[in-house]
Amino acid sequence: MDHLLPAEILEADRAFPGALAACADLDALLRLKGAYVGREGSHAARMMDLLKVAPKEQKRDLGAAINGAKQRWEEGLKVRQAELEAAKKQLGALASSWDPALPPPVPARGALHPLNRLMDRLVEVFRPLGFHVEEGPEVETEAHNFDGLNIPEDHPAKASSDTFYLAAHPELLLRTHTSPVQVRTLLRVAPDLEKLGGIRFLAPGRVYRKDEIDPTHSPMFHQVEGMLVGHDIGMQHLKGTLEYALRALFGPHTEIRLRPSYFPFVEPGCEVDVSCPLCDAKGCRVCKGSGWVEILGAGLLHPNVLRYAGIDPEEWSGWAFGMGVERMAMMLSQTPDLRLFFENDQRFLGAMGGLD
Amino acid sequence: MWIERKALAAEIPAAAALDTRQLCELLASLGFPIDGVASREGGDVLDVDITANRGDAMSHRGMAREVAAKLGQPLAPLAPPPVAEGAPRVPVRLESPACPLYATALLSLGSGGTPAGAQAFLRALEASAKGLPAVDASNELLLRYGHPTHAFDADRIRGGVTVRWAVTGEKLVTLDGVTRTLASQDLVIADEAGPIALAGVMGGDGTKVTEATRRVLLESAWFDPKTVRATARRHSLHTDASHRFGRGADPAMAAVARDLLVDRLRSWAGATLEGAWTAGSRPAAPARVTLTGDLLTRVAGEPLTLGEAAEALGRLGCTVAAGSDALTVQPPTWRHDLAIPEDLAEEVLRLRGYERIPSVLPPLEGPPQRLSPDYRHRQALARRLAHLGFHQTVTYGFISPEADAAFAAPDNAPQGRTLVNPLGQEYSVLRGTLLASLKAAAEQNLRQGAREVRLFEVAPTYASGTKGPAERFTLGLAWGGTLGGEDYLSPARPVREADLSGIALDLGLAALPQVRTLGEGLFGFEIPVTDLPQAGERIIPAFRPFSRFPSVERDLSLLVGLGQSYEALAGAMRAALPAEVLQDLRCVDVFRHKSLPEGRQAWLMRLRFQADRTLVGAEVDGWMASALAAAEALGAKLRA
Repeated sequence: MDHLLPAEILEADRAFPGALAACADLDALLRLKGAYVGREGSHAARMMDLLKVAPKEQKRDLGAAINGAKQRWEEGLKVRQAELEAAKKQLGALASSWDPALPPPVPARGALHPLNRLMDRLVEVFRPLGFHVEEGPEVETEAHNFDGLNIPEDHPAKASSDTFYLAAHPELLLRTHTSPVQVRTLLRVAPDLEKLGGIRFLAPGRVYRKDEIDPTHSPMFHQVEGMLVGHDIGMQHLKGTLEYALRALFGPHTEIRLRPSYFPFVEPGCEVDVSCPLCDAKGCRVCKGSGWVEILGAGLLHPNVLRYAGIDPEEWSGWAFGMGVERMAMMLSQTPDLRLFFENDQRFLGAMGGLD
Repeated sequence: MWIERKALAAEIPAAAALDTRQLCELLASLGFPIDGVASREGGDVLDVDITANRGDAMSHRGMAREVAAKLGQPLAPLAPPPVAEGAPRVPVRLESPACPLYATALLSLGSGGTPAGAQAFLRALEASAKGLPAVDASNELLLRYGHPTHAFDADRIRGGVTVRWAVTGEKLVTLDGVTRTLASQDLVIADEAGPIALAGVMGGDGTKVTEATRRVLLESAWFDPKTVRATARRHSLHTDASHRFGRGADPAMAAVARDLLVDRLRSWAGATLEGAWTAGSRPAAPARVTLTGDLLTRVAGEPLTLGEAAEALGRLGCTVAAGSDALTVQPPTWRHDLAIPEDLAEEVLRLRGYERIPSVLPPLEGPPQRLSPDYRHRQALARRLAHLGFHQTVTYGFISPEADAAFAAPDNAPQGRTLVNPLGQEYSVLRGTLLASLKAAAEQNLRQGAREVRLFEVAPTYASGTKGPAERFTLGLAWGGTLGGEDYLSPARPVREADLSGIALDLGLAALPQVRTLGEGLFGFEIPVTDLPQAGERIIPAFRPFSRFPSVERDLSLLVGLGQSYEALAGAMRAALPAEVLQDLRCVDVFRHKSLPEGRQAWLMRLRFQADRTLVGAEVDGWMASALAAAEALGAKLRA
């Protein structure tokens, strides 16, 4: 009997299930209800108008068709309404339990690792001085790790008691410091050094030495290497840069102190102390009452390091420093045991690392 | 090394005016930091840290030279009664250039013992006094003057003495009682029967001085540093003697130390000199080094006069010839470390005091370089994950083969990533995966009572290759435990795989990574960092026009099988629609209920269309019909 219905009503009837499912909330459903079975202007109202003017012999069948459609629609609307009401109730239950007096839900909070945070901070304080970041692989060649750094052939650090070597590749090792990044970077930039106007960078990273794991030793730890190459670079520039950067790090009243020391890849070499940041140099447990803490080793680049990279030490000169990240982190945080940094307990990470 | 204040002052009398603290500061300023101070035998002893290049400073006399140079004060004279040399009483043959000089003396011992003062000195420095004058005097001389000597029991030496390379496989029982099998690169002192000492390292047990010894043959030689270092390392035998010879002893001290030893044996043990003689001659002096005024000024950071430099170097024992713009410097016999002009510049600055170095910022000579996109990307990634509630871990790069095999790619053979000398089997393979380390850390956290654990690490993983392990930065995540339930609005539920997939999508991964089950209710995935979308090199990307016309949103409720793949369905629907107008397609609701046909669920798909014009209802209807047809082709039905 549906053939008696006009095309637009049949089309509306076909579209009804889709339109019904598309109602995401009760408002939408109400609008749909209005459009199909509302008192005025709806498909149902139009059908009733049709019925009024229909020829008498069609009235019965048309009425049945109209009723069938209306019933389908009303039934559909009812089921969907129940569905949407149930969903709304669930939401409502949640909403009604909202209580401004109770603590609100707080999103979970993660943390950066304290060692990474400290390295980031170091990069941050050197950035304004024109330093960028260079990186290198952790698996290195003997040439980059030792030879290019003026470390003698028979240096004890090369022994398998000190350095990890790869079984399948006897010439490869786990870098024992971040200094091979110096060698790689110098080799890379040597042809363009004049055009670049020298180079200055930090090289943060992980390094490996064959130390047993105990409260002050770890076979893996982190270093931050710093290097600058330019014209007529002397000890005054090393001191000036470190003074600036360490004041940026620890505060404007920080003092630094250079003491002579020795590393094969620098000459002159020095250790750098900083006025104790924990007690303002008044003397405490950390600085053992001296007011100073040792913070890094540094020096002017040994001419052999420049020569190895094909850079003329008569024309270019520079400085480098190397800093132990764990050591500094332990000093600043007074963490009693190095192993805590590698246990990755969330309580430690959350408290020590956190977010900037 | 331990330095006794009293003994130091005996070498440099001016040091007596300094108290212990002043002395420590003075030594530190010269490059000899003090690791500790102890009070022993009625006086202070200082634990002085001496860098490997300064073998010459490893004695009281050596340290006194430094203090004297700094203070500009004289050293106490070192002039033992000279011993007259004569014809060799025992033939000494030097067969290797590694021992160019061998001074000796033969004495018969009388009676007497090590004086109390010398014994106290030895005890103060943590060296044991044996009560045998020949042994104690040799030790005392080494600590006081830095030159190692040795006393053999002369009556136990057969025939002459030869300094030669060992024959491979030769045996020597050293003083510590250990039988050493020698290599041809070991330099030995030998008699007719075989080796009697490892040159510059340790004496032999068979010829050692005992209480029964009546006659002693003394040795005060100079051995090649490299040879001594190699032998000490080969036999893991690091001794006071090998430390000093290995860093370069003072050849001029060979005869002096012999004379001092003779003098002590005469006075301590009533010894009689039977003869003294020297084989060979001193090795060549260190080469002369030229220091220009330009280099000195560049290193120092301020103009220093060559006159000032010459004066400082002179105080350190150098012989200096001044030219108009350079100094020609002959380092003293004890300084093997002064080889290049920079070494001399350092000495001048050191004596002047590093505190006087000016502080200057280096001028920028070129534009600063930017941080590399890779580095910035990793930093941003770490921050993002931390803000998503994850904790950044730092774990070792080497793990056990078993842990590695559980998660590393099957084609990544561990052999190419194995260490030859690991700390232990559990640290023997460079990891091909971060998941093993994250699993361990996560489980540790859960064991410790964490309700929920969210960890990530950004670190290299290694893939075996013919040229060695290839290294690439990898992101690994682990998430497990119970989510929510910690406030009254968020119901508790276990962490699911889908939670990690959500993170992957949030990070912008086009394809979902394989989420692995790491443990009970613990999931993780890892991907190379380069798989993640990265901000381009451009400061701001090129402008891409976007439509200002309104978008049209339509929903489609589909009945699909319970096993329907979302990717397949969404892919088919996308493929059926013009890409330039389809802005978004997603499933916004899932409905499962017994009122639905058996084995079916309802997915409410939401589609959003937009174009550079106002969309007409009819064309959107057409697209929706296409989308439905594509879904129906996969067995979906419109939900009625």
